[in-house]
Amino acid sequence: MATRLKDVDAVVVGMGFCGAILSRELTKAGLNVVGLERGVDRTPAEEFTLTRLRDELRYVVRLELMQDNSIDTITFRNTPDELALPIRRFGAFLPGEGVGGTGIHWGALHWRFLPTDFRIKSVLTEKYGAKAIP
Amino acid sequence: MTDDAVPRRRFLLGAGLAGTAIATGLTEPVEAQQQPATPQPAVPAAQDTEPFVTLTALEAAFITAAVDTLIPPDELSPSGSDCGVAIFIDRQLGSAWGGGAKMYRAGPFLKGKPEQGYQLPLTPREYFAAGIAAANAWSRKTYGNEFDRLAAADRVSVLKAMEDGKAQFENFDARGFFAQLLSITQVGFFADPIYGSNRDKVGWKLLGFPGLPATYADKIDAYRDKRYVADPQSIADFS
Repeated sequence: MATRLKDVDAVVVGMGFCGAILSRELTKAGLNVVGLERGVDRTPAEEFTLTRLRDELRYVVRLELMQDNSIDTITFRNTPDELALPIRRFGAFLPGEGVGGTGIHWGALHWRFLPTDFRIKSVLTEKYGAKAIP
Repeated sequence: MTDDAVPRRRFLLGAGLAGTAIATGLTEPVEAQQQPATPQPAVPAAQDTEPFVTLTALEAAFITAAVDTLIPPDELSPSGSDCGVAIFIDRQLGSAWGGGAKMYRAGPFLKGKPEQGYQLPLTPREYFAAGIAAANAWSRKTYGNEFDRLAAADRVSVLKAMEDGKAQFENFDARGFFAQLLSITQVGFFADPIYGSNRDKVGWKLLGFPGLPATYADKIDAYRDKRYVADPQSIADFS
């Protein structure tokens, strides 16, 4: 039996970077917003203390902050003629879960652009020829 | 038998940290060629007095023999089991992770391409139980005895045959099992000591890994172009 909740102006599905910023803009405009997010409730003071945060087995190897694949996963294939199979535990890419979304496990690494990044077409043309660029 | 400890160690250290490890100047083993010709007792009497809580006695003997073959006692560290790696594997397989927590376990169970990853219905605990049984069956058929009862040189041969895909287990992927065995051994050797292995931070000292602090902004000037060596600190040191 579905429970009918009180109407709100907006429901934002996903409270990661995008959902949180969007919700903030909506509330600033005076709207009443409900944000939905999957996963466990985490208390920063409990979960993100210094010694616990450095537990590489828990977070880096066993992926504590990432999506729970026992609840949901995706299937994938590399070519159209392959049969898509479920990813049983994420590895190649890591969707997070919990309020904050990717924001809670993002390493905040921003690599500086290389000089070649500003003239990438010229560099590729010089090295591989104009035909290498579709 | 041309096998020696250091290439195996370098292989073991290959968990993304090899550059660091090689740079510390691993020395050649003095006694590497002295492989005992007689079967070794599977469970060392030394420090490893903690009881196994998950593995059966037969499984514990296999795991102990396997981690001691991958990490033999030498000048770099005590044996894998004396570093706590067998106990670590026991605890991990008994953990929620070992029971398949956060793992998609519904069908279809089809054989995929290697790049599609793990597709068996087994939890890690079940996977290791099946892998150990298959490895012991192959070991009995090929060498006449369970893996843990073989001479050290034969144990090396068994693991190499698994790794190279030359060992054909009945209904089980020997090469895949070796990869998992090696992986969990690596993880155990370098995990924080709170998980029961990396005793005395031996894996971290081997790498020169300082452990928890991980904030070095105040040391950049003092250590520019110099190696930073610190007594590693684990989670327990701050608790």
